[in-house]
Amino acid sequence: MNDEPAGPGKGDSASLSSLQRWMQAVIMHPDGVMAGTESEGARQHLDVSPGQLETVVGRSRNLTSDERLEIYHNAYFSRLLECLRNIYPMVAKTLGEEAFDALAIGYLHSYPSGSYTLDRLGDNFARYLHESRPDLDDSGEPTETWPDFLIDLARLEWNIGEVFDGPGVEGQTTLGAEQLLGMDANRWPEVRLTPAPCLRLLSFRFPVNDYFTSLRDVDEDAEPPALPGPAESWLALSRRDFVVRRHALERAQHRLLTSLAGGQTIGAAIGELASTTSVDFDRLAEELRDWFHTWTAAGFFTGLGDPL
Amino acid sequence: MIPPRLGHVNLGLGVGLRTAHFPYLLAHWPAVDWFEIISENFIDSRGRPRYVLDQLAERYPIVMHGVSLSIGSTDPLNFDYLTRLKRLADAIGPRWISDHLCWTGVLGLNAHDLLPVPFNDETLRHVVERIRVVQDFLGRRLVLENPSSYVTFANSTMSEWEFLSRMAEEADCGLLLDVNNVYVSSVNHDFDPEEYIDTMPHARVVQCHLAGHTDCVTHLIDTHDNHVVPRVWELYRRAHRLTGGMSTLLEWDASIPPFPVVHAEVLKARQHMDATLEPAGDRDGAWSKSVSGPELSAVPHPLHLIGREVQ
Repeated sequence: MNDEPAGPGKGDSASLSSLQRWMQAVIMHPDGVMAGTESEGARQHLDVSPGQLETVVGRSRNLTSDERLEIYHNAYFSRLLECLRNIYPMVAKTLGEEAFDALAIGYLHSYPSGSYTLDRLGDNFARYLHESRPDLDDSGEPTETWPDFLIDLARLEWNIGEVFDGPGVEGQTTLGAEQLLGMDANRWPEVRLTPAPCLRLLSFRFPVNDYFTSLRDVDEDAEPPALPGPAESWLALSRRDFVVRRHALERAQHRLLTSLAGGQTIGAAIGELASTTSVDFDRLAEELRDWFHTWTAAGFFTGLGDPL
Repeated sequence: MIPPRLGHVNLGLGVGLRTAHFPYLLAHWPAVDWFEIISENFIDSRGRPRYVLDQLAERYPIVMHGVSLSIGSTDPLNFDYLTRLKRLADAIGPRWISDHLCWTGVLGLNAHDLLPVPFNDETLRHVVERIRVVQDFLGRRLVLENPSSYVTFANSTMSEWEFLSRMAEEADCGLLLDVNNVYVSSVNHDFDPEEYIDTMPHARVVQCHLAGHTDCVTHLIDTHDNHVVPRVWELYRRAHRLTGGMSTLLEWDASIPPFPVVHAEVLKARQHMDATLEPAGDRDGAWSKSVSGPELSAVPHPLHLIGREVQ
């Protein structure tokens, strides 16, 4: 397929390719059909001015060529903005419709969809929030915290989507508390736990899980709660009965679960935790029992892994 | 001699499967003839959507209907997508696989829209060749739908119905006749919808679609958010007579009402199947939603993202 610019209505072998590249550039242009028609992205494929549009797209009884193309332009942005609002409902609610849509239009311009599925549409959104943050000073350093908060919130929502339609443990038996706690503790140095495929362990710079809960409880038209200040937080996501479950964690819990999910033996993971925290070992032993009860009840592990 | 519906059985009156109806379906197992799924919502799913589909596929005939094949695009065919599509088909055994005569993007992008192609010999050769490749890959005939469209191209040299007829004959594929789309495009492009339906290769029409649309006064938009209008029922009645009967499916994708309302809508098709009966006419009312002009809220189909469930 050649990439040579082709004239309007030209019947050579490149005309379908040129027409499609031109139309895509026109309807995806964030500033509308006229701006799209005049853009270099469109004119490199079909060099037509706005006044010549009818040589490419016919008019109807009621609409001009640009008005007809505008339907596709409007549809493109309306459809994909609605999808992004559904993928990132809490980011959208936090920013408000106008600010979120402006952000989303910029995102679509920087990261247009290249996937057959809309499920992948928001994959680069957190990255775009980072790249487009407006608070950098002359040396490129951030001067505000709220962009970091939005990035954390977007990370949480993206992970919820991954867990929702990814692999899960429905219909399977997960590791029970008795199986785990009934085991001779002498075996802990050699036994690993197999994490459920839907388990995600996340750490944040802001308490985004608490914010998520309070924002979800706010009425549709009410003001969102105030943005919380920086404070580290930890979270496990899992899925039960096809619904994503959020489990708030403490730092030590997150550290232990991360070690276990990373393939360390139970003994090594606990030993590492004990060596890096100031917690009293006897107290930790007591807490471990509660933690393992909670985590097995939540289906965090599918079974015991093979010893080395 | 081509058999009616290319030899496919007439599945009766079906409904497009939508997630909003999952709880109702699993609780009531309604007496629906068949379901059509949006393929892209299930080809990668390992959560509730796929679980529900597996349950339904044990009890109802399923048809796979896609929106991302992009058969008219000048980008290379996406064999990763096709592999996933085939894998799902192997797992759930659909009666057939359909998509649209359209392109969704080029240069590796996807506009997630059903964009129209110019109707000329160059496009015809291009599309026919790609249909053949896809059919070889899938090991079955493809069924392609006429999308609603909002532009026409100056370099078109034939009508949409002539293009579809030649495409179906030359590629030996099936057709999904969306009667609402015929009507929407006929208003938008000032053509005669009866002529369109009369000149289709009727034996190749495997299935039809019905849906509601939005009247923007200067044009119609295929929004799938309302009841079927009387004029579309008239066209359906005509198509049903000419094809000798085809699997009929109702699509409802926005402002989705409870399942019994959607099901009742497609069951109205029974009133239009007997050519000796009078048209149902105004009994259905003027359901078409009207807006005063082009507006952002009237978004053409498709919009298919499954909402996340989180506690």
